[in-house]
Amino acid sequence: MRYRRRRSDLRAPSGLAPRTTSAGTPKESQLGRHLPAERGGYKAIDPNPLAEGLHDYRVGDPLVMVIFGATGDLSGRKLLPAIYNLAKQRLLPAGFAVVGAAIDDLTDDGFRKHAEDVITKFSRTQPVDPQVLRAFLASVFYVKVDFSKLDDFKALARKIDDLDHARHIGGNRVYYCATPPPTYETITEQLKAAGLVRSPGFDRIVVEKPFGSDLKSARELSQILQRVFHEDSVYRIDHYLGKETVQNILAFRFANSLFEPVWNSNLIDSVQITAAEEIGVEMRGAYYERAGALRDIVQNHALQLVALVAMEPPVAFEATTVRDEKVKVLRAIRPILDGDVATSTVRGQYTKGWVLGEEVIGYREEHAVAPGSLTETFAALRLFIDNWRWANVPFYIRVGKRMPKRATEIRVQFKRPPHMTFEAAKDLDPNAITLRIQPEEGISLRFGAKVPSAGVRLRNVAMDFDYMSSFLVETPEAYERLLLDCMIGDPTLFTRADEVEAAWKFIDPIEAAWRDDRPPLSMYAAGTWGPVAADKLIEANGREWHRP
Amino acid sequence: MAQAVSAKSPTPQIAWHGESVTIGDVLSALGGIRRKAAQAEAGDEAHPHPRNCVMTLVAVATSDADERRAQRAALAIAAQHPSLAIVVCEEPSVRTGRIDASIATHPLSASSASKAQCDIVSLRVPGATGEHLAALVDPLLISGVPTYLWWLDTPPFGTKELVDALRICDALVVDSSRFDRPYNSFLGLADLALHSHERLGVADLQWARLASWRETIAQFFEPKERRPFMGGIAELGIDYVGEGRGNRIAAALLIGWFASALGWKVQRAVGGAGGVVVAHFATENGRQLEVAFRSVPKTHLAQGEISAVRIGGASAGSTFRMSVQRDPERQSRLTSDVGPSEFQRRFNAGGEDEAGLEIAERKALQQRDVLARNRESLHHTATGDLPGEPGQGSGVLVRDRRRGGNPLVLLTQIDLGDAETLRLVQNIESQDEPTLLLELLSTGAHDPVYMRSLGAAAKLMRAL
Repeated sequence: MRYRRRRSDLRAPSGLAPRTTSAGTPKESQLGRHLPAERGGYKAIDPNPLAEGLHDYRVGDPLVMVIFGATGDLSGRKLLPAIYNLAKQRLLPAGFAVVGAAIDDLTDDGFRKHAEDVITKFSRTQPVDPQVLRAFLASVFYVKVDFSKLDDFKALARKIDDLDHARHIGGNRVYYCATPPPTYETITEQLKAAGLVRSPGFDRIVVEKPFGSDLKSARELSQILQRVFHEDSVYRIDHYLGKETVQNILAFRFANSLFEPVWNSNLIDSVQITAAEEIGVEMRGAYYERAGALRDIVQNHALQLVALVAMEPPVAFEATTVRDEKVKVLRAIRPILDGDVATSTVRGQYTKGWVLGEEVIGYREEHAVAPGSLTETFAALRLFIDNWRWANVPFYIRVGKRMPKRATEIRVQFKRPPHMTFEAAKDLDPNAITLRIQPEEGISLRFGAKVPSAGVRLRNVAMDFDYMSSFLVETPEAYERLLLDCMIGDPTLFTRADEVEAAWKFIDPIEAAWRDDRPPLSMYAAGTWGPVAADKLIEANGREWHRP
Repeated sequence: MAQAVSAKSPTPQIAWHGESVTIGDVLSALGGIRRKAAQAEAGDEAHPHPRNCVMTLVAVATSDADERRAQRAALAIAAQHPSLAIVVCEEPSVRTGRIDASIATHPLSASSASKAQCDIVSLRVPGATGEHLAALVDPLLISGVPTYLWWLDTPPFGTKELVDALRICDALVVDSSRFDRPYNSFLGLADLALHSHERLGVADLQWARLASWRETIAQFFEPKERRPFMGGIAELGIDYVGEGRGNRIAAALLIGWFASALGWKVQRAVGGAGGVVVAHFATENGRQLEVAFRSVPKTHLAQGEISAVRIGGASAGSTFRMSVQRDPERQSRLTSDVGPSEFQRRFNAGGEDEAGLEIAERKALQQRDVLARNRESLHHTATGDLPGEPGQGSGVLVRDRRRGGNPLVLLTQIDLGDAETLRLVQNIESQDEPTLLLELLSTGAHDPVYMRSLGAAAKLMRAL
């Protein structure tokens, strides 16, 4: 059988500036049911008539997925279990194969044993189905690869070629770097040198966050990847975007006519975004010391949420349009420069305290953390988006570790009614819509209602929509969703280089001022909602933090 | 059997029971229960959340066994989704003129954020339910959410009563594998679906069971390189279990789906040797193709179930064959009495474990014995004939046709040109009734693909 060469993932000719937008993209309505449409590439192909109406049907072309760092933590905890669960849901095409590549000296069977162990331990669905597992493991292979040795990559190439012939794969490859970012350069260069990115099908590369630690390093990283892969084939994975509820923000806003007309500075007073974790830095102390809350959470998760809440309606739910609109928002965020940093931001660090009834140590006592560390475990900021829709609406962001509970939510606070018909309405809180991301995913609308009585007494009531119980289906896991998107070739929920750069452009000046100790680090006891300074930040404008 | 299932199911709390009551009584009891639940939930907060409700499920049963089935399914759904279920069971007309009712409540599972509970209202009514179903149920329905009518056995197709009952609901859900007089009932279903108002959804659990076959087949044609194969299909074979046209419904639906998706028109059908019926189709550009329906004995499968699909053809100089077999480990030797066909030789499963086969075979034989005994006793219960007495029917009972909860293993084998055979084993979790119901209801029971497949299947059934 011959395979025609596809133009789906064109690589950038070396020396050319990378394109950051693609020419045409897969059109798939991923919110809810999908009709199979142009998949995987930019050349239109008719929808598969046999797939019509199969609402969980999302299957791409056969491919080989190479996991670098296959014996590592990410691969074991997330990737292999996620791929197994895709197999269980019958979402992997016939012929699909996984090739583990790592430094460990393992045989195919040795790696299969490892895969079996981690899948059994970490799979989302339990117990593991022995038949599915056995069938899945038969498509798992291993090649020992020392990233510094070209010969190892050549051996990998031979293995992949063999599999390709045996399994009718048509030269489609996905390379997943489940390795630390410093290895990306070596891996991509070696892939190129070993002729592994010249296959007749598509070649895609998946990398994990962090995408750099500032604008400069993010650009360097993009350049490294783009020397070998076209930007359209680079999948920067941020598992946050794979969450159903994050995608539901877009459905809520753009699939309803009720909310969008009020979604602007005429009626919205302010927006609060909270991303709180009850856990500390755990064993990530060494990484966290270099990162801090601003780079670890604000730069990606929090700003992604800002973008989704504030973006203009995209023309369609597809990669280019959605990401174009997100980037516009990120670019419209007013920079917080020099003198403003001290008044618009707060950085905090937890000291010992009580979380969920347990006594916990302070950040400076954590493993691999310097005793005098100035790294922030809490960040709060007030930002403005300088565009027509959001002029003068403050966005308050608060992220932190060792808070009282795990809660991520977006609260859209409306203005008070222009005229008080009811005397009693003075005590009423203004309307608010809360988008709960986790846990208890859902949406809550707060409004005032009359208390049944002879007089007029008003009270706040909440109308709650609970995401989990309202649908007759299960919520898929974020990694499964994203791995599948990558196999199908739909980058909508992956971060594009210009998004990453726009976010860093906003973060860098804040980070620089913080390094100069402006504003000074504020301490907060573990198990509280952050330092007093954070309350002052929002109270200065007559508002207060909403307690999730 | 029933005990095993109910042991796994959550236990509902009977909150109210009344004999010789009116629907008004039921309604006020329901109101009282809801108020109490709301107050209990509110606790200190003093303001309860408004009720969250996803749907009303009205289940119509004509036997005690069906009533329990409906309650079990309602309970399983209720554990995840706030909803109201109304189970209506016809009583033999001895006690005319009275309604016995009970209300069971069930809290949502602990993992759910919503504290709402689910109510299951069971009504035992005299006479044929269809005659006054709408009047019975209408006052109980929750406004603003869809109402689904699940008819557990065979609805009275073609009657005014059914049309009236359908006025109050958004969709009718049936299981065509449980129909009495399956052939005629299936055509009745097709008539209803094609001539009712387009807002009325029609759904069939049998169709939901075909989803895994459809997915597997669609996957084969998914890669762009293989798309042209769809136009090059020359022959199709489908094996199903059981004799007679009534057992061909699932097979006809699957072929109806193919035909309507790819634009094939049925031309004629001819009977062949060994119980094979061949339907001749013409494609849109006039090409001819054949579909062979073959009845096969498979003791581990229920009557009417599909056991294998084979597709072969050529396009642009490349030949292709794909076959999907159900439960491959259990067949091979069991089917050897059918005689090796051309396909079997080509699709030699290979690599099957001999010991496994041995066990499977023994199990199957054992199952066959048990089945034979069960059938006898069931037959006795159902017909009143003495055990061992053959009775006048064909001997195939409706209950035999559908044994729920069988896990399903699909073995796909792909041959492209001269390349090595590619095998893919897929496990499909047991498809119990609540799961299938949820599957159908999650789309609002409106499925245009089903409608067109049903139309094509009805045409095909008439031709066969």
